[in-house]
This record gives sequence, structure tokens and C-alpha cells, in this order.
Amino acid sequence: MDRLTASLVLLLLGGVTLRVSLTDAYLAYVQAGFRPFLLAAAAVLLVLGVIGAVRERPGRALGTDDHRHDQAHDHDHDHGHDHGHDHGHAHGPRVAWLMLAPVAVLLLVAPPALGSFTAARQPQQVVAEQPVAVGIGPDDPGEDFRTLPLSAYAIRAVAEDTSAFEGRRVRLTGFVTPREGGGWYVTRIAIQCCAADAVAHTVVVDGPRGDLPADQWVDVVGTWAPPVPHPTRGWPEPVIAPESVTPVDPPADTYAD
Amino acid sequence: MTGPTTTAEAPPAPPRRRLLPTDVLVVACLAIVAVRFLAPGAFTAPALQAWSTVFVAVCLQALPFLVLGVLLSAAITAFVPADFFERAMPRRAGLAVPVAGLSGAVLPGCECAAVPVAGSLVRRGVAPAAALAFLLSAPAINPVVLVATAVAFPDEPWMAPARFAASLAVALVMGWLWARFGRGEWLRLPARAGAPAGTPRSAVFREAAQHDLVHAGGYLVVGGLTAATLNVAVPREWLDSVAGSAVLSVLVLAVLAVLLAVCSEADAFVAASLTSFSLTSRLVFLVVGPVVDVKLVALQSGTFGRRFALRFAPATFAVAVLAALAVAWVVW
Repeated sequence: MDRLTASLVLLLLGGVTLRVSLTDAYLAYVQAGFRPFLLAAAAVLLVLGVIGAVRERPGRALGTDDHRHDQAHDHDHDHGHDHGHDHGHAHGPRVAWLMLAPVAVLLLVAPPALGSFTAARQPQQVVAEQPVAVGIGPDDPGEDFRTLPLSAYAIRAVAEDTSAFEGRRVRLTGFVTPREGGGWYVTRIAIQCCAADAVAHTVVVDGPRGDLPADQWVDVVGTWAPPVPHPTRGWPEPVIAPESVTPVDPPADTYAD
Repeated sequence: MTGPTTTAEAPPAPPRRRLLPTDVLVVACLAIVAVRFLAPGAFTAPALQAWSTVFVAVCLQALPFLVLGVLLSAAITAFVPADFFERAMPRRAGLAVPVAGLSGAVLPGCECAAVPVAGSLVRRGVAPAAALAFLLSAPAINPVVLVATAVAFPDEPWMAPARFAASLAVALVMGWLWARFGRGEWLRLPARAGAPAGTPRSAVFREAAQHDLVHAGGYLVVGGLTAATLNVAVPREWLDSVAGSAVLSVLVLAVLAVLLAVCSEADAFVAASLTSFSLTSRLVFLVVGPVVDVKLVALQSGTFGRRFALRFAPATFAVAVLAALAVAWVVW
């Protein structure tokens, strides 16, 4: 890979990085607070790419005014390959071509945030890491239910003391994941840094799924019901008995709960 | 996509002109655009999408840290006088190793930033043993990572100190091992054009930064490809099935740390989520991950050469497991 190509590859990588971090698209991959770092990295890539591409542009007279071509020839001898043509600067190894892979994947697949496929593959027992407050707080203003983060409901719903749910209705928001052995879950995926450390939080919805497709986002308003055993693993799974299930648009940041 | 592209696209101008890399790039870009418009719905399989999400996530997550490391490394090349480190570091490798290992605490980044910085330290004449101690300690003992560890394990106040102790021990032991047994010929830093006298510093800086980015960037993608594949392919179920065995759980989490290649700033949260595993095995995960993982080995072979990485990674793996076990035995 010569210098001009290397500069253009940096330019492309910087361009797609800028593109995903200027819109909300980056929220499918990394946590929200990461945006400034992505923008800064994209800016560095673009600046290096633009300067490099301008200085190496085709047609620029060779060996006129700067030292870099002398260096480039030393470089050639060190590496011992890529001799033989005018621009043989041997600037990057072959593997540098792989930097086009994220560009291609982002442009072609434009992968969405992790959903039911990941949630179904990563079942996780609900365990309270530390004692959580049992209470769930007052109802939402003007409503007769309390909106809870799905993970917060899951932890409280399998606790020993579930008295806080008596006579209360809660609202959970998440996407549909089909349940092994029948039924379905309302699901959230949480990430700490990026999608590689995703953890799924699932709550069994004890009611008909109707024709809701997997990954459809829904609001579930309902009441607490006793945990049921996981169909293959046997650990207790939190349950909600739904009174209403309403399809909704996915939030901008699907990982934030 | 970068494979055997046809020569049909090559410009006809000079006779028998070789296909230039730029031509390949143009063809690759045209191919991407063509597929995007001709077959827009071709990539909707859930497994492919989940794989792509994790792949892009690993790349995007690591990119700013890699850029930070590359800029730091270029700054060392361009602005730090050549004899600075010779004067600043103790002359004896035995002493330089702990100094370099502890100074890893000041680089607030993950392993992707540490590799290019360590490479430029070696170029600047720092003893390789000391630079390697820095390489291993920086991603594991900096304040950001230690705070993240403490936050992820609120009930285990000893987890962060244990991680600090074990990771520093790995860095020191590997540095000393290299000083004793390492051979210079294993290290093969890709030649970076030495700037002739009189080159403006800004030009040196820019050249060095671009060079390092192009060299490390491709390897980062290799790591992303591997991590995404394993992340999607390894079922969590068989992980839980081995968690009960003391020996197996340590081995499995050590290997998992290598294969998952989670950033050292995030791995504490992954470890915290593996609730069925013992604290000892999770400490092993936290100590191995920042010093050996698939992405890091790929980056290291790009920066220090393949012969180096093939020897260094397995030795580091063994030392890291032993150090974590020793610390866990003392603490718990």
C-alpha cells in the first residue's frame, strides 16, 4: 500500500466514523458518553488523511522540494518489497487493507443495535449484586402505574420480599424476544462500554404475544407474578402479568434503561 | 474485496503499467457502492447483523484509544529529545523495569494505546525489557481501569487492589524475564523512515502518526474480526456449565479473556456479570485480558514483529495466570 492509498484509507475510515458519531447511529455500538472521543478520533483520521492525500496527490512532481522521497527509498530497502514503480513507498503492510472492512460493514450492513438474537443466546440468571431497596416509588405523574427500568424490575421481582408490588402496576419498555419452550420476554440489552460486553435483561410476559414480531419494541403495563423456572436452566425468571401490551418506537439509545 | 481485482479498470495511459494500490482502492469502493445499491437487503440475517454490530463496536471502541496512543507515540518521536529516556531511565534493566512498570499508571487508556507508545519507547532507545513492562502494566493499572474495577465490584473492595498487584507483578516479571532471556533479534520493529536533520517537527509528527496508524489499524481490525466471531459463536451455556469446577473455571476464564478481547476499561463489568464464577477465576480474567488477547497479539505482531508476539504472548499468559492465582490465594 503506497502513501496515497494509505491516506485515502484513513480518510475513508475517518469519514464513516464521523458519519456514525454525528447521528445517533453510534449508539448501536458504543455507550453514549463515547461520542466526543469518536469525533476526536474521526477528526484526527480525516486531518491525517487529507494532508497525506494532498501531499501525495497524483501529478505532484516527484523529488522536487522535499525530503520524503529519499526516506521512502530507504524504507523500500528495509522492507525489500514493493519495488519497481514510481510510487513504491511501501508505506503500509498488506493487513492495512483490512481497515476497509469496518468501512464496508458500516456502509453495507449498517448493523442495528443488538436485539433478540443476542438476548436469546445469552441467558443470564438474575442475581442482585447487592441488597436493593424493595420499594418501587410512587406512580408516574398522572398515571396509575410506575415505570421501572427492566433490570430494576427483574431484580425486585425475584427477591424474597415482593410486598412492594402488592396492588401496584408497573410499566416496562423493551423489545420482544421469543422464549425457549413457548412464550416471550420483554427484553433490554445493557452495555457498559461497547456491544461486545452486552448483557441481556429479560422478563417473562405471561400473556399472548399476538402477532408481535421479534425485536418489536413494546410498552408492557401489568402486575407482578411469581417467578417461573427457566425452561432449560431451572433458575427463577421474573414474570409480569400484562394488562396491556402496546407497540412503541425504539428509543434512540436502546441500551440505556 | 481487496482480492484479485481485474486489471480491466487499470487506466490505459502508460503501456504495461502495474495495477497501483490506488486503483485497487477505487475498485473496492466502487464494489461497495455497487453492492449497496444493487442488493440493499442482502445483509439481514440476525446472526450476521449481531456479528457486524459487535465487530463495528470493537473497532469503534478501540479506535479513539489507538489514535490517542499513536499521537502520544508520534509526539515522543517528534518532540522528545533522543537522549531524554537514556538520561531519565535507570541504566540497569533490573531497575528500569520497575520504573517503567509503575509509570504505566499514568497512561489513561487501554491496551490499544499502550502498544504504539511502547513501540516508540523502544525506538527511542529505552531498554526493551522496560518498554515491555510499560506495555503490560499501562492498560491494567491506570486509574481509569482501577476505578472501573472498583465500581463493577462494589461488594469486593479487594478486587481493584488485587488486580493492581497481580497486573504490576506480571509486568515486572515479564520485564525481568525479557532482560534475562530475551533476544534482540526477536524484536523486529517495522522501519520507520528516520527524518533527516532539518525536517520540521510537525512533518515528523504527521509522518510518524500516519505510519503508526496504518501499521496498527489493520491489526486492530483483525482483532475485531476475531472477537466478534467468538462473541457470537461461543454459547454462554457451556460457560456456566464449567463454572463449578475450580480448575476448569480458572482455565476457561483465562482463555475467554484472550478470545473475547474486551477493552481493559470494560472488562471489569464483563467479569462482574459472570456471576457463576469464583472471584479467583474472575481475577484471572481481569489480569490476563489486558496483557494477552487476540486483538493485542495482532497489534503486537504489527508493532514488534510476529516472532516476538509468538513468544511473548504465551509466556505472558502463563505468568498472568500464575500471578493472579498467587494474589487471589493471599487475598481470599
